[in-house]
Amino acid sequence: VLIRAAPGSGPALPVLHSRLRWVVTAVALGLSFLVARLWQLQVVRGEQYYERARSNVLHERQLSSVRGKILDRAGRALADNRPSFNIYAVPRLLDPGTLQRLVELIGLSPRETELIQQRLALGRQRGRSRPVLILEDQNRDRAALVAQARLELPGIEVRDEPHRHYPGGKVAAHLVGYMNKLNARELGELAAQGYEADEFIGRYGLEREWEPYLRGKKGLERFMANAHGERVDDPGSEELIDGPRLVPPVPGHNVVLTIDLDLQRIAEDAFPEGSAGAAVVVEVATGRILALASVPAFDPNVMTGKLTRALEMELASDPRKPFIDKALRQHYPPGSTYKFVPGLAALEDRLVGPDDAFVCPGFHRLGQRLFHCTHTHGSMNAYQALQHSCNVYYWRLAERLGIERLAEVAFDFGFGAPTGLGLNGEVSGRVPTRGWYEQRDQFKMGYTLNAATGQGDVEVTVLQLVMAYAAIANGGALHVPQVVERVESASHEVVAQYRPRLRRRVEAAPQHLAIMREGMRRVVNETGGTAAVTARSQVVEYAGKTGTAQVRSRRESPDLSLGWHPDREHAWFAGFAPFAAPEIAVVVLVEHGGPGGKVAAPVARTIIEGYWGRVRGHQDRGEGTP
Amino acid sequence: MSSLSTLLGAARATVQMSWWRRFLVRFDWPLFGAMALLCSLGLANLYSATHGTPHSAKFEQQLVWMSVGLCVFVATAAIDHRTWLRLSWIALGVIIAAVIAVDVIGHTSKGSQRWIGYGGLRIQPSELAKIAVILAVARLNYDRASGTLSRAALWARIAALALPVVFIALQPDLGSASLVALIPLSVAFLTMARLWPLVATLGTGILALPVLWDHYMVDYQKRRVLSFLDPAADPTGAGWHTLQSIFAVGSGRLTGKGYLNATQNQFNFLPEHWTDFPFSVWAEEWGFTGCVFMIAAFAFLILWILHVALGARDEFGAIICLGVGAMLFWHVVVNIAMVLGLAPVVGVTLPLISYGGSSLLTVFVGLGLVASVSMRRHGY
Repeated sequence: VLIRAAPGSGPALPVLHSRLRWVVTAVALGLSFLVARLWQLQVVRGEQYYERARSNVLHERQLSSVRGKILDRAGRALADNRPSFNIYAVPRLLDPGTLQRLVELIGLSPRETELIQQRLALGRQRGRSRPVLILEDQNRDRAALVAQARLELPGIEVRDEPHRHYPGGKVAAHLVGYMNKLNARELGELAAQGYEADEFIGRYGLEREWEPYLRGKKGLERFMANAHGERVDDPGSEELIDGPRLVPPVPGHNVVLTIDLDLQRIAEDAFPEGSAGAAVVVEVATGRILALASVPAFDPNVMTGKLTRALEMELASDPRKPFIDKALRQHYPPGSTYKFVPGLAALEDRLVGPDDAFVCPGFHRLGQRLFHCTHTHGSMNAYQALQHSCNVYYWRLAERLGIERLAEVAFDFGFGAPTGLGLNGEVSGRVPTRGWYEQRDQFKMGYTLNAATGQGDVEVTVLQLVMAYAAIANGGALHVPQVVERVESASHEVVAQYRPRLRRRVEAAPQHLAIMREGMRRVVNETGGTAAVTARSQVVEYAGKTGTAQVRSRRESPDLSLGWHPDREHAWFAGFAPFAAPEIAVVVLVEHGGPGGKVAAPVARTIIEGYWGRVRGHQDRGEGTP
Repeated sequence: MSSLSTLLGAARATVQMSWWRRFLVRFDWPLFGAMALLCSLGLANLYSATHGTPHSAKFEQQLVWMSVGLCVFVATAAIDHRTWLRLSWIALGVIIAAVIAVDVIGHTSKGSQRWIGYGGLRIQPSELAKIAVILAVARLNYDRASGTLSRAALWARIAALALPVVFIALQPDLGSASLVALIPLSVAFLTMARLWPLVATLGTGILALPVLWDHYMVDYQKRRVLSFLDPAADPTGAGWHTLQSIFAVGSGRLTGKGYLNATQNQFNFLPEHWTDFPFSVWAEEWGFTGCVFMIAAFAFLILWILHVALGARDEFGAIICLGVGAMLFWHVVVNIAMVLGLAPVVGVTLPLISYGGSSLLTVFVGLGLVASVSMRRHGY
C-alpha cells in the first residue's frame, strides 16, 4: 500500500518497479523470519528461558547448623564442635590458573593436589555452579592466606564451619561413635532431607542413632549474583527471590547421657595394657548406665574425616577388632557368672534349700562321660557353691531342673533378647532350649549340664549380664538400660526427658535373690572365694561372681602368660556394690584374658573402688552406708 | 543608507524564510518520524543497558552523538544529493585510504583493528565506507546508463568497489566486510536487467568459502562460527554470548520484564551488550510485543525508503535510496538474527539503537541522503 501509493511521475528505475513485489516480499520474509524466531524463543519457550535467566542470577546457599553436643551426666562434653576452615571451589568460576596459584600459595602436597582434582571432577558432575569442598579442616594460616588472596583466586572461598571434635579422644568411643562423609548412594537417598555432598553424617554409636536430634536444621540464604559470581544487592530485582532471603539455621539438640565421664575413664583405664573386652556399670535402682566401655577403641577424631588408608588397614587387621562394641554387639559364653540361673531355679522350685548340701567329688558322671570340676570341693550348699564356683553342685541341680527350666529363668532375666538400649546393633545372645537343639540336631543331657555353668551354647552380652545382676542386686527389678538422660535444645531447654523403664519384675522371690547376693559376697570377701585373694577391696565391701568361659581351643596347651590370645578363656566378673545397699552393678569381660578371678575381678574392683571413691566421695570402707 | 540596508536585510530574511518554509513543507516527515522514534527507543534502551554500571556515561555520549548526527542529517537533507555525483569516486578513494590507514596504524580491539582517530574522537572507517560505497554504486550506475563507459572502465570501477571490502576483511572484520559487500549486491539484484551473471558470480564465491575458512579466517572468527552452529557445545566459552543472549530474549516472554528490569543485562551475563546486543536488552524488558513493535518500526523505515526510491526523479537518487535501504535492512536482519542465535556473532550494529558514534553517523548520513532525494522528488 505504501509503495503503490507512491506518485509515479515517471519512474526512475523501471526494473525496480517490475521487481517491486519480490523486493517487498523479501523484506517481509526476512523480518517475519525474525518475528517467527522471537515467537519461538519468547512465547513457546519463554517460561523455560525465564527460569534459566532467573537461575542465572539467583543463588542459594545452605547455612550449616551447629551440631548438638553429646554430654555426660554432669554436662562434660564427649562430643562437641571446634572452629575449622573449609576451602570451597565453584567450578564455573575457576580459571585455568586458579588451582596452580592455590597450590603455590599454600604449598599443597602432590597428594592434596590430586585429591582436589578428584573432588573437582566429581563436583563438576553435580553442577558447575555449586561450591565443591576441596580442602577441609584447614589450619588458620592456610585459611588466612587464601582469604587474603581472594582476588587472585576467583571461585575459591574459605568458609568458617564447625568441625566435630571429641575432647576425650578414645573415651567412650563406641558409645559416642563418629561421623564421616556421605557417599554418593546415600546422598541420593538423603538429599530430600537436606543433606548435601561433602556433608558428614553420624556413622556409629550415638552419633548415628541420635543423628536426627543432633543434626539441627540447616539455614538457607538466597541472594543474587552477577555473571562473575559476585553478590549483587539490587532492590529492583529482589522480587525474583521467592520466599525469605534468610532462613537462619537451627542448632542441633544436645544429648545428655547418664554416663559419668570419670567412671567411664576409670573403667577404660582399668583394663590391662593390650587387652580387649568390655565393662558396663549401671545404677541398680534405675538401669541408668554410668559407664559403657569397650576396649580397644578407635579415636573418633581420626575417624571423623582424618582416616587414612594405612590406619584403616591397621585397625581392620587388629585381631582384637577395635570397631566392635564388645559390650553389646558381641556375645560370649558367660561361664560361671551364669550359675545364679540354676541356683535360683532350684531354690524357686524347692528342689533344695539354701543350706542343703551336695558333695563334690571333683567330677560328675553322666552316662559314660565324666564332667570334671575345678577342685574336689567336698560338701557344698547354695552359698558355698557360689563362693567356690563348684560345678558339680550346679550339674546336679541341672539334671533335675532340665534345660527348659534353665532357659525359662534365663529368659526371665533378660537373656536371649536385646536389652532394648537401641545402639550399635545390639545382639540377642542365645539361651539354648530343647527345641533349639532338636532343630539343629539332637538334644543330649550333656547340653543341660553345660548350660548350667554358662558354657557350651549359652551366649550373653556384657550388657545383658549387667542388667541381670542389677536385678539380683535390687531385689528383682529388671530394667531397660538407659544411656540418654535427656535431650536439650542449644539454649538448655529440656526437649525430652527420659525416665527409667522397668522391663519386668523377675519371678525369683526376693529372699532367694538375697541368698544369691550372700553367696556372691563370699566370693569376694570370704576365704576360699574365687575373687577373695585377687580382688577383695579395702575400700568397699562388694559382691559378685567370677567366670572363666572356655573357648574352643585350637592348641593343646595354651601359653599361660597374660594378655590377649585367641586360645585363652574369657575372663568374667559380674557383681554389685556396695553389698549392704547396692547402688551399682558392674560386669567386666576380658576377652581371651584368662581366669576370671585373676584377670577380670581386679578390673571390676578398680572400677568399683573408683566409683566409691571418686564418684561418691567416700574415703574408706563402709563409710556412709547403713 | 540605513534604510537601504534595512531593505536588503528584509529581502534576505524573506529569501531565507521562504527557503526554510520550503524545506519544512518538502521535508520527509514520515522518514524523520520513523527515525526519531527509533532514536528514542535506542536511547531509552541504552539508558537501561548502562545505568548503574561503570558505563553509564555512554548514555550522555550517545546523546551528544545523536545531536551531532541530527545536524548532519539536516545538512545532508538540505544539500542536493546530486552534488555528490561528482564527489562519489573521491569519497570512495578517501574511504579506501582511511581503511588502509586503520589496517596500518589503527587501534586494536578484540584482535582486530577498526578505529582511527586522535584522543577521544575515534572513527570506524568501515562504517562510513558503506556511505561511500552507496554513492559509488549510484555513480557507477549513472555512468553505465549514460553509456560513456568502456567495458574496461566498468570493470575497473567494479574492482574499486571491491577494494574497501577486501581491506576491511583484512582488519580482520568479516562482519563489516560482508555488510559492505551486501550493499552493492543488493542494489545490483534490484536494478540489473539480467541476473544470471550475478548469480553465477555469487555461486562461485560461496564455493570458495572453504578456502577462505582454511587460509584467511582467524581463530576467534572460526570459534564464533563454530559456536554459532552449536552454542551449547562450550557454554562458557565462545557460545556464551549466543546462549546468554537467547536466555535474555526468551526470558522476556510475551510482555517483558519491564523497563530497567532486565537481569541478564544488569547482572552482566552479556558483556558489552550496548554495542552489538542492545536488542537482547530490549527483548528482555519489553518482550515479544516490544520486539514486534521495534521490528515494525524498522520495516516502516525500510519500506518508506523503498517508496522514496520508487518515486525518485533521477536514477542517481533512486540508487542511493536503494543502497541506504539495503544497508539498513541487512544491519537489522543480521544483528537481530545474531541476537536470536540465528547468525554467528559478528560486529554488526543495530541502526539507531546500538551505542557508537561511527555507526550512528553513518545511518544519519544515509537517511539524510534519502531525505534529500525525497525532498527533490517533485522539483525543489
